[in-house]
Order: sequence, then C-alpha cells, then structure tokens
Amino acid sequence: MKTLNIEATNKSPRILFDPSKKLFEMKGNSRPENVRDFYYPIIETLRNYFDSMAKDQKLITDSEEKPFKFNFKLDYFNSSSAKFISDILVIVKDYYEKGIQFKVYWYFEDGDDDMKEVGEDFADMISFPFNYIMVQR
Amino acid sequence: MNKYDVVINFNGNISLPVIDDILHKLKVYLHNNINDKLIRKRVYSLAVECLDNIFKHSDLTDINNKLVNKYPPKFIVEFFHDTFLIHTGNIISNENTEKVIQKLTQLNKLADTEVNQLYKDSLSNAEISEKGGAGLGLIVMAKTTRQKIHFDFERINHNFSYFAMQLNLKIN
Repeated sequence: MKTLNIEATNKSPRILFDPSKKLFEMKGNSRPENVRDFYYPIIETLRNYFDSMAKDQKLITDSEEKPFKFNFKLDYFNSSSAKFISDILVIVKDYYEKGIQFKVYWYFEDGDDDMKEVGEDFADMISFPFNYIMVQR
Repeated sequence: MNKYDVVINFNGNISLPVIDDILHKLKVYLHNNINDKLIRKRVYSLAVECLDNIFKHSDLTDINNKLVNKYPPKFIVEFFHDTFLIHTGNIISNENTEKVIQKLTQLNKLADTEVNQLYKDSLSNAEISEKGGAGLGLIVMAKTTRQKIHFDFERINHNFSYFAMQLNLKIN
C-alpha cells in the first residue's frame, strides 16, 4: 500500500496520503516549477490505490464505516495547480460513484472569500458536496 | 500609503530565479502597504499568472538576440490612487497572435458570472501543455480583476509582434 509524505516547500504543498488512516491532505502553497512532475505521481498513486480498492468488495464495504477524508488546506495555488487539484477531485467523484465513501474538507482563512469561492467552484464542477471549514490565523 | 507607487519595474529576461525575486519583492511591498489580505492575495495571484505567461509563452527569449534586446520582456506593477496596474510585455510569434486576440476579446465580452462559468468549464477540459500551462491564466486574470483586460500587439517584423497587456485591480 503506497503512502505519500511530501514535505512542503515555499512553492509546493505538503502532501500526505495514508490509506491506513483513510487520509489525503494538501497543505500550503502550490506553484511548483514543474507542475507535471509534481502532480503526476500523486495522481497516479491515488488512481492506483482507489482502482485496486474498487475491485475489492471487502475494502469497499469497510470504507462505508469510515469514509476517506480529503483535506485541502491551501493558502495559494496557481492556475496550473488548479487543473491538477481538479484532477484529484475528479478521482474522488469517480470512485465515489464506484461505491467508495469520501468526505472532502475545504479549509479557508477567515476573510479569504476567494479561497472559499474556488472551493465552491470545484464542488460544483464535480457535483460533490464539500465541508467548508473557516480557520482564524 | 503613497497615492502613486512604482512597486516593480522589471525589463529583461524572465527566468525562474527572476520570478522568485520579483514575487518576493512584491510580497514584501504588499505586506507593508496593504492591510486587506484578500487584496494582497489577488495582486500576488495576478503577478504569478502574468509572470508564468511571459515565462511560458514568450516565443523569442534569447537575451542575446537583437530583437529581444530591443523589445525585452517587461513586468511592471504600479499603484495609483485605488488601483493596482500590472503591465506585461513579451515577444510573440505572429502565428500565435490571432489565438490570443480571440481569447482576450471573448473574455472581455463576458459578464462576471460568465467568466466564472468559463473557469469551471475550462478546469474540467484543460490539458497541461509541454510547458506546464493549463490555459487558465487569462481566465483567472479576468476572474480576479473583474475588469476588462487591456492589450495591444505591435508588429515587429514578418515573424514577431510585441504583446503588451495591462490588468487593473481596484482595492475598494
């Protein structure tokens, strides 16, 4: 079971994917120099994991007890990163339709209406409800 | 805060270290002069998209080239009264100008809600180019400024033009 644990830099977010905790998390800023090199392996890991999960009925049944949590705690991301964040969210939608349970938590800072709005855009795009969490800093 | 400030005035080759340096200077200025975090983030976001565009879409970048010397890439941020003005310039091949004109003309005709819808539709359909662009930069600029994007093309020769663009972001 492949996990991801990528430390944040000032240009790329912290990425954590731990299937044993049913957790995927992105945190920080995203404008990587090579956006494809950064996001392709993440997307491949997620697709491979949920693909094998979708083929295993027992795992799907287990997942109904505790949904996979996808946390987005982003401060800033550029337009190329937005495309890849949308690809990650499309994975959520695709595998939700195959029976896997998910919860998406979209964090935004108090007063950062743009970050909340972009979360609403993503939710609308994949037709999947997000939980919005406002944080004070 | 001054009623008129030249925040950034850069002419020359836009490389990744140059982008980092410009963004750092901009961040310091915004931190010291703008209280509203939303405005700070909007100006920063516009700067990132503009610099990315110059870096990824300039069709002639060799600084030793005579044309580039005469028409260098430019990135200028000014603050005037209640508006940030962001000016960019870069050389573009004539075969690409029509595509950019069409995209900007279409964007400038759209109402805010239509720009938002276009952004959502484009997110779903965007493909990442070899250069790492998603083709969303201009849409993000229109979405963020909620104002028309000013642009102009100056024909340099048979092959190239100079593409100049100006974004206005009101802080109130």
